[in-house]
Amino acid sequence: MRGKTLIVLCGLAAALLARNLYVMLLELPDEVSQGPIFRIIFFHVPAAWTAFLGFLAAAGGSLLYLLHKELRYDAFAVAVTEVGLAFAAANLATGMIWARIIWGIWWTWDPRLTSMLVCCVLYAGYLALRHAVEEPSQRARAAAVVSILACVDVPIVFFSIRWWRTQHPQPVVWGGGSMDPAYWKMLFLNWIPLLLLGAVMAALRTRQEGWQREIEALRRRAHAL
Amino acid sequence: MTAPAGGSLLESVRPRQALRPAGFWRSALTVALKDLRAELRTKQALNASLAFSVVILLLFSFAFDPTAEETRALAGGLLWLVFAFAGALIWNRSFARELPNDCLDGLLAAPISGAALYAGKAAANWLLLMAVELAGLAAFGVFYNAAWTSRFWPLLGVLALGTWAVTVVGTLFSALTVNLRLRELMLPLLVYPLLIPALLAAIQLTGPLAVGQAASAEAMLWLRLLGAFDIIFTALALGLVEAVLVS
Amino acid sequence: MDARNFTYMFYGFLAAWLILAAYVAALAGRERRIRRQLDALKRLLEDKEKERR
Repeated sequence: MRGKTLIVLCGLAAALLARNLYVMLLELPDEVSQGPIFRIIFFHVPAAWTAFLGFLAAAGGSLLYLLHKELRYDAFAVAVTEVGLAFAAANLATGMIWARIIWGIWWTWDPRLTSMLVCCVLYAGYLALRHAVEEPSQRARAAAVVSILACVDVPIVFFSIRWWRTQHPQPVVWGGGSMDPAYWKMLFLNWIPLLLLGAVMAALRTRQEGWQREIEALRRRAHAL
Repeated sequence: MTAPAGGSLLESVRPRQALRPAGFWRSALTVALKDLRAELRTKQALNASLAFSVVILLLFSFAFDPTAEETRALAGGLLWLVFAFAGALIWNRSFARELPNDCLDGLLAAPISGAALYAGKAAANWLLLMAVELAGLAAFGVFYNAAWTSRFWPLLGVLALGTWAVTVVGTLFSALTVNLRLRELMLPLLVYPLLIPALLAAIQLTGPLAVGQAASAEAMLWLRLLGAFDIIFTALALGLVEAVLVS
Repeated sequence: MDARNFTYMFYGFLAAWLILAAYVAALAGRERRIRRQLDALKRLLEDKEKERR
């Protein structure tokens, strides 16, 4: 994506975010049982959605790389994985703060929080693997395999932990289900700026990967001369 | 050159048994037997694994000195953590054993599919890990007074499914990390998070059985999860292994 | 309770944005480093090609 497009998208995101914050803090009523802290949901949940979208896109990019062997797909995969990981971290942090106020504990083995934590560990492993392999196409192949396996594993992890937690019920960070329609609307409306920002960050990171490859090519030429 | 009786001229200059690639199962079996033979001769990974399992089980019994009730609660988790860590020692050797003398290059050049090579190694690793687990189970029975012999067959079934799950992923990552400097670190780091659902299911299933009690009410659920994990990851591994083995 | 509830809500917002900002800062730092390397390499190649002529 070109520079001007990125700036426009950023501007759009900022504007929407400002409008949402105004509505969120000044117009929407407090949630009945939890109070003001419930508003954290407007960042907590869309951050999770963005993270999962990132990981899914990474698996897609990885599959495309394995099929076509073009390094730009690998560049895309690492970019969306990193962005996804950033949003996942934001989701975990907001979840912990929420749990602290509502339940008085920093961590709860809530199925969603736990699955997100496992996700973070999986994709941190993906990034660690990339650092361990130097040759670009070898790195891309190994990373692609891990990305695809991790993506398939995530739903399985979620279901297994949810079943496990039904046997030993723990505090659940957000029950979901019935919620005021105004809240639902704000939830989706706040997802848009996060998606836009995520897309901008991923575009910047993908571009950086392209430059990195250019650097490697120039280095080879410099050595040859 | 005169042609041999009853054969064409061409047959005299071309070997009768052409270099026809062997079928999937035959190749996999050959690789599995080769690996088992190699391992049983040196017993490097096997001994390390066995010693590790027994020592950890011993240490845990000192560290926690569990009562019968506590043992019932701990059994599944303890056994599977020990098996998972012992397994890493076996998976690590699996492809690393082929590095000296370029054996890995030889295997990759052989007329067998990558999937057959992988399947053979996974099968060998599965057998080795099952052996370690049975020995570990015996040690567990002795140190923790756990009378699991009445539940031997269901326990064996659960061990078989769980071991296949961890072996499938472990062997794939053994191939993936074989050329890395930090192989011993990267392999567990990548494998264990992926295995969480399988380990969870195996732990829930093994827990009651390992202390001689009947399987829990939710056993079918966990069994289905473990079975699904086995099928999904075996299919994924067989599909992706060619990408991993091209070096 | 209510005041603490409000404070934690702001902490939550802050945490989310700090993490994202940290990633953006990391991206910016990486961009600067890559641009520097790229420019240095391009200059090096230009010098080497001038030498050859």
